[in-house]
Amino acid sequence: MSINIDKNPESDVLPERIRRFPFPFTAEQYRYSANVEPAHKTVETEAGAWGAGLIDIDEFYLQELADRDQILTRDPSRMQVLPHMRPAVWDALTAVLSSMAEDYPDTMSFHREGNTCRWQNTLQNLNIEFTAGDDDSLPGGPMRFLGSQIQDDIVLLDIREDTMWLDAGLVSFAADWSFSFDVGMNFLEIHGPVPRVKEENIVRRAEQFLMRLQPGEQFRRTNWTMTIGQRLDTSTETYPEWGPDRGTIATDPDLPDKLHLRVEVQHLIRLPHTGVVMFLIRSYLLSLTDIAKVPVWREKLGHVLAELPEDMAEYKGIIRYRKAASDWLLAS
Amino acid sequence: MTTTALPISAHPAVEGGLQLEVTSVSVQTESIVSIILANPSGGTLPSYVPGSHLVVQYGDGVNAYSLTGSGNAPSEYAISVLRVEDGAGGSMAMHQLAVGDRVYVSRPRSAFAPVSTATHHLLVAAGIGITPVLSHARAAADRGTTSSLIYVYRPGAGAHVDEARELLGPALTECSNRTGFQEVLTEQLASQNLGTHLYVCGPGAFMDGVLGQARELGWPEARLHSEAFGAAELDEGEPFSVNLVRSGIKLEVPAGVSLLETLENAGKTIPNMCRKGICGECSLSVLRGAPQHRDLYLTDEEKAENTTMMCCVSRSEDPELELDL
Amino acid sequence: MRSVSMPSAAGSGLEPGFRGVICASFGVTGDTAGHDTGDRPRHDLRFVSANPEALADLRSVLGCSHVGVRLVLAGPPADIRAAAAAAAECGLLEEEMTLLCDEAGPRVVYCPHCRARTTVGAAGTEAECSGCATTLFIADHFSRRMGAYLGYSAHVEEAS
Ligand code: HEM
Ligand code: FES
Ligand SMILES: [Zn+2]
Repeated sequence: MSINIDKNPESDVLPERIRRFPFPFTAEQYRYSANVEPAHKTVETEAGAWGAGLIDIDEFYLQELADRDQILTRDPSRMQVLPHMRPAVWDALTAVLSSMAEDYPDTMSFHREGNTCRWQNTLQNLNIEFTAGDDDSLPGGPMRFLGSQIQDDIVLLDIREDTMWLDAGLVSFAADWSFSFDVGMNFLEIHGPVPRVKEENIVRRAEQFLMRLQPGEQFRRTNWTMTIGQRLDTSTETYPEWGPDRGTIATDPDLPDKLHLRVEVQHLIRLPHTGVVMFLIRSYLLSLTDIAKVPVWREKLGHVLAELPEDMAEYKGIIRYRKAASDWLLAS
Repeated sequence: MTTTALPISAHPAVEGGLQLEVTSVSVQTESIVSIILANPSGGTLPSYVPGSHLVVQYGDGVNAYSLTGSGNAPSEYAISVLRVEDGAGGSMAMHQLAVGDRVYVSRPRSAFAPVSTATHHLLVAAGIGITPVLSHARAAADRGTTSSLIYVYRPGAGAHVDEARELLGPALTECSNRTGFQEVLTEQLASQNLGTHLYVCGPGAFMDGVLGQARELGWPEARLHSEAFGAAELDEGEPFSVNLVRSGIKLEVPAGVSLLETLENAGKTIPNMCRKGICGECSLSVLRGAPQHRDLYLTDEEKAENTTMMCCVSRSEDPELELDL
Repeated sequence: MRSVSMPSAAGSGLEPGFRGVICASFGVTGDTAGHDTGDRPRHDLRFVSANPEALADLRSVLGCSHVGVRLVLAGPPADIRAAAAAAAECGLLEEEMTLLCDEAGPRVVYCPHCRARTTVGAAGTEAECSGCATTLFIADHFSRRMGAYLGYSAHVEEAS
C-alpha cells in the first residue's frame, strides 16, 4: 500500500486520508460495548467526516485490491464458501453491487432483469454481464469477484439452531485472527478469545440483535487496534512475518511514522433473499504522525492508550508498546 | 415507486414499505382469492426469504399474508387471502380489491425461513397454511434441493392444488381426512434421512399435533419449524402517555411510534445510537409506572426494578409513566 | 477397524432406518458402556481411533439411519471431535450428539502458518508443528469443524 505524500505539508488543508478517517473515540477512555448504529449516517469528526454510504471507495482502492489478489493467490484459504452458502454469496454480490451503483452513479451501474445482471465499474474499466446463481459466469466465482470490487473483507453468517454460523467469506486483511480456522464456528465460538465480552453479555446480546434484524436492514459498528507498518494483512497466518515488530517498535525512533491506528468500520446487513447476515469489514490505517495533526485526536488516543486495562491491551497485542505510543502522543 | 397519494396515510406497520398496484385477482376457492401485486412503474421488487409475509394495509388496519413465490428477484408479489367472516375485517377488505387498486405494503418480513443446510424439506400444510410452504417448495426447486408436501384440505376447498401438483409431482400427498393424514404423517416422520427439516403451517391445534408427534418420534427442536398463519406479530404496542416531571409536560405516545421518537418530536434531545434496544445509550429514569421492557440491554433484575427504561423500543404496562426528564 | 458387537452398516446388520442410539467408543479409554440409553434400541461401535476407515464406517451407519437417531461418542478429544465433525457433515445436529470426552487423551492443533494438523498430548501449552516444525503456542480456541485447537508461532514477539 502506498501513501501519497502531501505536495504541500505546510498547508492547513489536511490530506484526504485524514479527513475521511473514521476516528472512533468519543471519550478519553475506551471499553467494549454493543456499539451498533444504523448505517448510512454521516459522522462529523474534528478533521472531516465519514460514513455516508455503505461501500467506501478511497484513494487506496486499486492498490488494496491488488494486494488482496496477491494474498489470495498465495494463500487460497483466505476465501471459503461452505456448499450451503452458495445462494448467500449471490445474494451478497447483487446486494452490494446495486448499493454501489446507487452511491456512485457517475462511475458504476448495475442492472438486473430476472437472473441476468450487468455491472459496470469504470474505475476498473469493467463492463460485464453475468447470470445470478451461475458460479461460472464470473471470473473466479461470485465471492472472489465481490472481493475484487470492494476494499471490505467479507464474512457471511448463516442463521440456524438459534445462533449464527460463520460459513463463508473472503478475508484478506484480518486483524490478528485466522479466517480459515474460524470457518464453521458459531458467533459465540468466534468471540471466544475476546476478554470481557462474555461476562458483560455483549456477544449474546449482539447475536440476539442480529438475528432479529429483518432482511434489508443495515447497521454498523467500529472496532480498532494498532498496526506496525502500512500493512492490512495482519492475519494469524502471516504472524511470523509481522509479529516481531511488536517486540521492537517501542524503542524504534521511527515509531510515529511506523505505528498506525487501525480502525475497522464493520457493516452488519441481513441479506434479502437468504436472510444471511453479511458482515463487511473495512479497514483504515493512520500513522501516529498523521493522528497528531489533529490535536483532539492526538490527545484522545494518547489517553485511551494510557488508560486501557491490561487484559484489553494484551488481547489487542499492543501491550509491549502502548506506553511508548501514548507518551509520544501526549508529549508532542 | 410512484408517489400518487393514496386516500389514507400509511399505517406505522407498513412505514418504509412499498406502494403497489393490484394487477390480478383470481378466485382459488369459494373463500380464498389470490392477489398479485406489482410495482406500478414496473421493475423488480425486493427479493425475499422463502416463507416470508407481507403486511398489507386495509383501511386503517393491517394484516399479514404469506408470499407464495420463491422470493428470488420477483417482478410481482403473490398472496392468497382466506375470507374470515368474523375477523377484524381485513380479509373482507382484501376480498374487495380490484385490478388497478393501490395498496400500502411493508417490505417482506421473514419469520419462517428454510434451513440452508437441509438436504430435504418435509412440508406439512393445512388449509390456507399452504401459502408459505408453497414458497418453500418453489425455493427448494430453485436451489436444487428436494421437498415433499403433505397437504390437508377439505374436498373442494384446497387453494393452489394444481400448482402444488405440478411443482411436486409424486412428492405431494393430498389428504382430506384425519385418519388418512395421521397414517401418512407417521410414516413420513419415521422415514426421513438425516438432512431433513420439518416445516408446518396451519391452524394452531393442527401444528401442535404435528410438532408433538415429531417430538415423540425423536425429532429435536432444531429440526422443527412452524408458522401460525395470519398471526405474524406486528408489535406496534399500545398507546400510553408520559409525564415529564422536570419539564412539566405530558406527551401521548401513539401505537406504532416509539417513546424516543415522541420525545424527539417534542424537541427533546435524547442520546441514542442503535434505536433497537441493544446499545444502552437511550436509557431514561422512570419515577412512576411500570415500563413494558422490550430491549436486550437491561438485565432481568434491572428490568424488574422498573427504574430504568430504553426509550427506543420499550413502552408502558401502565396507561401513564412518570419520567425524570 | 470395524464395529464388533454387530457387523458394520455398510454390509449392514444395522436395520435400515435405525432411529435408536448409536454408541461409538474410540481407543482404550473410550467407553459408552456406562451410557444409559433407556429403552431405546442401541447399536454399539468400537474403533481403535478416528482413522479414515472408522469415520467411513460411522458415516455409513449414519447414512442409513433416520431422523430420531442419537449418537454418543466416547474417547480422547482428538478422536471424538473428528467423529463429531464427520457426523455433523452427515446432517446430525449438536442436539443429537453426546460427547463423553476423556480429557487426558490426545488433542489436535491446527497450524495456520502451514495448515497442518498435529496430534499432541493433553498437557502442555506448546507443541511442534508436524508440517513446518514451528513451535506453536496452543490457544484456548477450538473449531468443531476442524476438531482442532488453534496454534500460532510462539515467542515471536520476544525476538528483540
Ligand atoms: C456478525 C459478525 C461478526 C463477526 C464475524 C465478528 C468476528 C470477530 C472476530 C473474528 C474477532 C476476533 C476474535 C479473535 O481474536 O479471534 C472479533 C472481535 C471482537 N468482536 Fe466481533 N464479530 C462480529 C460482530 C460483532 C458485534 C456485533 C460485536 C459487538 C456489538 C462484536 C464485538 C467484538 C469485540 C468487542 C471484539 C474484540 C475486538 C478487539 O478488541 O480488537 N463483534 N469479532
Ligand atoms: S438507542 Fe440503543 S438502546 Fe436505545
Ligand atoms: Zn505449521
